[in-house]
Amino acid sequence: MSSWLDYTINGLIVGNVYALVAVGLALIFGVSRLINFAQGSIYLVGAYIGWVAVVQLHTPLPLTIILVAVVAALVGLIIERFGLRPLQNSVRIAPLLATIGISFVLDQLVMLTFSPNPRALPSQLPDVRFQVGGGTIGPLDLLIAGVGISSALLLFVFLRYSKLGWAVRAASQDRDAAMQMGVDVNRVNQAVFGIAAALGGVSGLLVGMYYNQIDTAMSLQATLKGVVAEVVGGAGNVPGAVVGSLLLGLVESYGVAVFGTSYRNLFAFLLLVVVLVLRPNGLFASARQAPPEPLTGTFIAPSRPVRIPRWALALAVAAFAILPLLPVSFYVLQTLINAWLLGMLALSLTLVAGTVGQVSLGHAALLAIGAYTSALLSLALNVPVGLAIIAGGLMSAALGTILISPSFRLRGHYVSIATLAIGEIVSLVILNWESVTRGPIGISGIPPLSLFGYDLISPTSIYWFSFAVMVVLALLQARLLSSHLGRSFRAIRDDDIAARAYGLSLNRYKSLAFIFGGFAAGVSGGIAAHLYSYINHETFNTQQSILALTVVILGGLGNVVGAIVGAVALVGLPEVFRIAAEYRILIYGIVLLLLVRFRPQGLLGTI
Amino acid sequence: MSNINRRTLVKGSLAAAIAGTSLSRAAFADSAEPILLGVSGPLTGPNAQYGTQWKQGFDLALDEILAGGGINGRKLAYQFEDSQSDPRQSVAIAQKFVSDPKIVLELGDFSSPASMAASPIYQRGGLVQFGFTNSHPDFTKGGDFMWSTSVSQADEQPLLAAYAVKKLGLKKLAVLHLNTDWGRTSRDYFNNAAKEYGAEIAITEGYIAEERDFRSTLVRVRDANPDGLVLISYYSDGALIARQARQVGLKQVICAASSVYSPKFLELGGDAVEDVHVGTRYFPEDPRPEVQKFIAGFKKKYNGLEPDAFNAYAYDAMNMAAAVVKIGGPDRKAIRDAFAKVKDVPSVIFGTATFDVATRRVKGAMNAELVVRKGQFSLWDGKPT
Repeated sequence: MSSWLDYTINGLIVGNVYALVAVGLALIFGVSRLINFAQGSIYLVGAYIGWVAVVQLHTPLPLTIILVAVVAALVGLIIERFGLRPLQNSVRIAPLLATIGISFVLDQLVMLTFSPNPRALPSQLPDVRFQVGGGTIGPLDLLIAGVGISSALLLFVFLRYSKLGWAVRAASQDRDAAMQMGVDVNRVNQAVFGIAAALGGVSGLLVGMYYNQIDTAMSLQATLKGVVAEVVGGAGNVPGAVVGSLLLGLVESYGVAVFGTSYRNLFAFLLLVVVLVLRPNGLFASARQAPPEPLTGTFIAPSRPVRIPRWALALAVAAFAILPLLPVSFYVLQTLINAWLLGMLALSLTLVAGTVGQVSLGHAALLAIGAYTSALLSLALNVPVGLAIIAGGLMSAALGTILISPSFRLRGHYVSIATLAIGEIVSLVILNWESVTRGPIGISGIPPLSLFGYDLISPTSIYWFSFAVMVVLALLQARLLSSHLGRSFRAIRDDDIAARAYGLSLNRYKSLAFIFGGFAAGVSGGIAAHLYSYINHETFNTQQSILALTVVILGGLGNVVGAIVGAVALVGLPEVFRIAAEYRILIYGIVLLLLVRFRPQGLLGTI
Repeated sequence: MSNINRRTLVKGSLAAAIAGTSLSRAAFADSAEPILLGVSGPLTGPNAQYGTQWKQGFDLALDEILAGGGINGRKLAYQFEDSQSDPRQSVAIAQKFVSDPKIVLELGDFSSPASMAASPIYQRGGLVQFGFTNSHPDFTKGGDFMWSTSVSQADEQPLLAAYAVKKLGLKKLAVLHLNTDWGRTSRDYFNNAAKEYGAEIAITEGYIAEERDFRSTLVRVRDANPDGLVLISYYSDGALIARQARQVGLKQVICAASSVYSPKFLELGGDAVEDVHVGTRYFPEDPRPEVQKFIAGFKKKYNGLEPDAFNAYAYDAMNMAAAVVKIGGPDRKAIRDAFAKVKDVPSVIFGTATFDVATRRVKGAMNAELVVRKGQFSLWDGKPT
């Protein structure tokens, strides 16, 4: 029984670590209604500034903390001023995407400066341990808890009782009204970003000392856990973020206690989904809080989509179709095959995110379901590959829609967080369900693509096959969008209350969209499985989900041609910059930022 | 279908004609043109550190090869393409290498999904894919153009099990392993061997690579009451587990697989990794000349930096590639055949390396039994900790 005391203490300790990130995220969400995906990168910057201070400058701990807080705050101010303020009046999703771009840039800058090798960040506190239960607690554990809880308390008092705090809350509730009442919203935003960034930086320092190691890959994990903790507590609620973090830590710890280490993150994301389903605004959302706005809908950029004449489209399709007959290298064909596969995924996402307004950050899960279904059917049951791929598409449509359906009542950013969680859950189930998925060993020896008994092995034939499949899916989707059904989809996106009043059943239409979208994504995953011949749980990861969302926004939400243009551009860009080696992700991040800044409605505009 | 075939044929002959002209041009070019190897590996993304370590090992080997007269008088060079260890990018890189007649041999990729997704392309393109970190049991089954010097876990893990059970006398073990293809395969070989030697496996726990917090896992381990912990980990997670084990009050003997062998393990682990036992493929005090030459050269080239296991794998791989290219000449198929012919290549990891033609892997890694004493890896003196 004493072990349960230890699990509880351990859960609270790691919960403290999560709280450091979650509090900063909550603060920014409270004011800007923005999930700041760059918070993890500021945490990374803080850790490395701390390393410079401790190891190179030998500063004492209080000075180290001040130094880290100041530099991180400066980074936060720069992000706010140059990355996010110019986007104030653009689509709601533009700043979200900008924070993703900023995190690419910051992570790469740190990696280029300090090399990707992990480093030791020695703790500057005395190494004494106090016996608690069967384990021990050290001064650093207490410091982390102290910083987490006291910063949450201070922020709470600041928001509730100080004048600037009122201004912050006023700006978060109604920006225009606050401005009319004389609140300098920009100053408020700056203050908030500065405070949140300082907190983020200090948390990176403390967590780095806690584990005695820092590395450049730590930012994404920090963001993921911080976002989960924040949303569990109630996005934008600072004390809620602390409670959410402690709860997350406890659930993980008890999950390990009962089921073992490999299930740890599964419980973290399940907790998130359960909380979102039962209390869609998080545990601490107050009843008076304004409901979250839909992410697209009325916030969609008022743009006139670029209409491409039919003859031009036909010409483009013909040009791509005859491309393999020209003397182009297999490398170009392979790159375009990747683009067609990403294009199918983007078609799927542009339908659910662009046309129906359900922004998904877990779309790679649909690829994985399609890929595993198709691979296992063709390997274990000798189903012909063509049929297996179609079965993969159907399985993605069915399973994906069932998994996502609990999130249909969510709105705004909560939809994207729920889908992010579902994406992680699918990946973790694949890792742990060994009897079917072969777990971490993955599936190898998947038969190559074939059609009517002919193996499609040469890049030329794979190119034609994937291009044809994509074109067919695109034509079907274009037909769908111009039908009555397509107009109903857009009605739900633009104003779900009006749509419901008109008699549309929201859940049914959202399901329909996920069924169509799931099929396209599943087919893409199935083709990839037979093309690669080996897949495991890491083949289709969060990065791909983020890439797909980038493609869709780049092309223009809901825009079928845009999705394909976006896919070609985003598969092509890193290839074009391939000669730049270590710098290419940096360049990619900067290009992304420029696009969001100057063309937020996407290249071809929203439909 | 026949239509497509005819087109492909036309295109194929066109490509052949183009390749032919460039080849004949290459033949006329002076032999100062270096022989080019392709490398597909991570330079950015979460595995970027390994790509950086590869480069260090490669560059050192290339310096020495050049100083020794190159490949029959020609320079050897490599073209490193960043795949981020992502299968979508590694397949594109594979097409790029396969269709570039200058590339005669390919090294990498780092992870199994990225490597094995590209295997069919290398196999069909007739370009050797030489994976030197690919311990996935199915990697070399991809075809006769897949070769690997990655130490077979079937060889390595029984040695570690013998160290833990027979030499250190640990009878009840807790095994913590990275939950990847490598960790799982290793764990199975280790557990089987340990049981064979008479030990009991009290508990096995798999964790994912991003894990940072092991306190709750270690409470499970404590409750299983083992007399030794075995880590099948890389150096960064191995150091984390050791630190947290000591923090939660576990005092058991810790043994770790060779993959923790890195100066970074000592740096990240601090006092907590004192007395950790490591079975390793090489260690700096090994008097063999290959090892001493490698370490001295490495420190000289990189300002006193201590090499680690991944540096050594890359260094060995480049030397092996040079030996093979020397026999096969700048011809892809001849290079493939040369892998079966090459014998006793001096190597840091293997002593001398020769391929087992049936498995297309190198057999018989060196083994040294080390222990961390006073913050340094040193040969185990036979005294229990």
